Amino acid sequence: MEKNIVKKKLGTTRRGFGKAIAQVGAAVAVPAVVAAPAAAQIASPAPGQVGPVLVGNYAMVDQIRVGGIGIRGRGMADLRMMLGDDRVRFVGIADIRDSAREMVKSAVDGYYKTNDCVMYKDPAEILARNDIDALLIATSDRWHGPMAMWAAQSGKDMYIEKPGAMSIAESYAMADNVRRYGVVYQSGAQRRNQYAFEFAVGLARSGKLGRLLAVHADTAIGLGTVDAGGHGWWPETTPVPDPLVFDWDKWLGPCLWRPYNSGYADRGRGEFWDFHAGLLEWASHTVATAQWAADMEHTEPVEYEPEGGIFRGDGLISRYTINCRYANGVKLVLRNHSWSLLGSCSNRFEGTEGWVETGDSGRIEVSPNLKSLLPTRQGKRYDPTAEHIRDFLQCVRSRHLPRANAEVTAHTHVTSHAAWIAAQLNRKLTWDPAKRMFINDEEANRMRSRAYREPWRMEALATSM
Amino acid sequence: MAQAPGQNQPPAAAPAAPGAPQTPPAPAAAKPPRPPAPTVPPEFDALPIWTLPPAKLVAMVKDPKSTLFQKAIACKKLAFVGGKDAIQPMAALLSHPQLGCYARFGLEPNPDPLVDDVLRAALPKLTGNLQIGVINTIGVRKDIKALDALIKLIDHSNAETACAATASVGMIGGLQASRALQAALGRTKPPVFPVAARASLLCAESLLASNKPRAMEMYTMLSATNMPEPVRRAAIRVLNAAGPAPAGAKEYPPPTGAAAEADKSGFLGRGR
Repeated sequence: MEKNIVKKKLGTTRRGFGKAIAQVGAAVAVPAVVAAPAAAQIASPAPGQVGPVLVGNYAMVDQIRVGGIGIRGRGMADLRMMLGDDRVRFVGIADIRDSAREMVKSAVDGYYKTNDCVMYKDPAEILARNDIDALLIATSDRWHGPMAMWAAQSGKDMYIEKPGAMSIAESYAMADNVRRYGVVYQSGAQRRNQYAFEFAVGLARSGKLGRLLAVHADTAIGLGTVDAGGHGWWPETTPVPDPLVFDWDKWLGPCLWRPYNSGYADRGRGEFWDFHAGLLEWASHTVATAQWAADMEHTEPVEYEPEGGIFRGDGLISRYTINCRYANGVKLVLRNHSWSLLGSCSNRFEGTEGWVETGDSGRIEVSPNLKSLLPTRQGKRYDPTAEHIRDFLQCVRSRHLPRANAEVTAHTHVTSHAAWIAAQLNRKLTWDPAKRMFINDEEANRMRSRAYREPWRMEALATSM
Repeated sequence: MAQAPGQNQPPAAAPAAPGAPQTPPAPAAAKPPRPPAPTVPPEFDALPIWTLPPAKLVAMVKDPKSTLFQKAIACKKLAFVGGKDAIQPMAALLSHPQLGCYARFGLEPNPDPLVDDVLRAALPKLTGNLQIGVINTIGVRKDIKALDALIKLIDHSNAETACAATASVGMIGGLQASRALQAALGRTKPPVFPVAARASLLCAESLLASNKPRAMEMYTMLSATNMPEPVRRAAIRVLNAAGPAPAGAKEYPPPTGAAAEADKSGFLGRGR
């Protein structure tokens, strides 16, 4: 398949053009600190011309040049939304599977009627391209954290599918890298841009529910599926494939080594602890929405107490509730039962003067005293993924924070991982958000991180536990 | 990432871009039916091992008759429950091609300082990826006693080893690390050079609280035009937040031409 990895001969790119201008500026003894912006402004073309336009910290161009990493099922849905936005020019795809590379190239080139989408086997090659502004990353869960850190370190903005990190430590490390390098990060938690959830959050944050008492999040799947595989292995039944066709070592990535079995890549992602981010399959959405409603997006609950459920030893199965409490007394309730059939990923917010509940159906239910506030039109009003991607692209230009930015995502993930750790240990845990550690529970504290398999590494300060 | 059951499915095609000649592509052609899921055989069932007490897990790691799977899962659980007695048995596996990562997984979160001792001892005895793994774990644990050994490895002939050592020096941080990284920036080439730049950025950030003048020196160094662009931009943002550029760095002339004429005419109210 090496023949299919087309190497694009890059001449002077548009971003490179901006850099060249900056170098000219530097050559006339303009001090380094101000050379690039000043030179780029001076050299900006007249309106209507194609050329560099200074936006925020970047010499942006007329189109946002996007590359993709690990795009298949869910990623293809994101890709379609991106292609539908005329601000985007999709220019390359990196994937460890030749079939996935071919699929994306075929889709992109078919849309543009060109043969320009460049394919790479190694994500490092697409990260090294200086002419790419942003990345669409939709690999499997275990790769999201490392990819986000690499993208940040290469100065690229990113729309990255959820969950964003496999551990508490990785959550902080991801957000630290995004902050340090000043890039735009949007997690694929598209319900942050879905009308029904926006409406419910609005009721909570505007005080229409009175003093907030509890926010509830549906974390239906996640724990249940761990029961299927836990820490076990599937046997090696076929030889490890040629890395050019399917790179097993890179598929495993930072996860612990195990014998090759094609079932992992084809269907096993969610069934094993190594490849699974616990509650975050849905908590990435529902805990994010709950913390948004409670105005707790930049912290985590201080208590986590599992209730019910059956802890098998390496996974929690059946009906469960995890009761969490923020420092101000507001409760966060994570549960996989007793929802009002409003659709998946439901949320419920309760205050002293009323309640609201909604889900993916787009229908909204409220306490009788709030019925007059309900929108006349309920149900799905637009595609939230398209809106979420528009939010991202707007922020690429404005350098504002998108709704599911890295800080918000990190706190959502720390909350969800802390709750999952409490569930795995089946005991009440107390968390110190400032110290980023559980209080008086060494076993829980050791579960905050997962060591990367060699040679992968996490370049971050937030690793020390 | 994967679509959960019941979640919103995106439409078959995105809204057409203005002027776009066609709609975005539909999903890939129908896939062949999925084969049945493999099952976990009894010899690879982790539950009986996962529920053992720590002493029995340590015994399993030590026992030469234990299978590779048993040792792997025992190390994995010992990451959370292992005490001092678990450290040497797991350290003995650091050179094992498959179990080395499990041994590090077991050792890395253990707060006992003996872990740092065994990792430092293992460092010169390992090569290739196994050595890189130990270098990475030392960086995560921020073992300052390992700095001398890591600084020597910045010039290792294997570029990946050199990169790992450079990154770990940055993660450990401190004055000695900052000097070593500054020196590395002066003599290394890609692929080590960009890692040294990123490591210097980490090191500078960690110095902000304890030695701000040195941190600002490093940020100034990292804002030079020969630095990797993302590092340079990150350093400039910190310098901007710290205050204006030094006096005399650059002075722009006052406006001339139409702008000056507009000022003379007293027209200062643009945008009202």
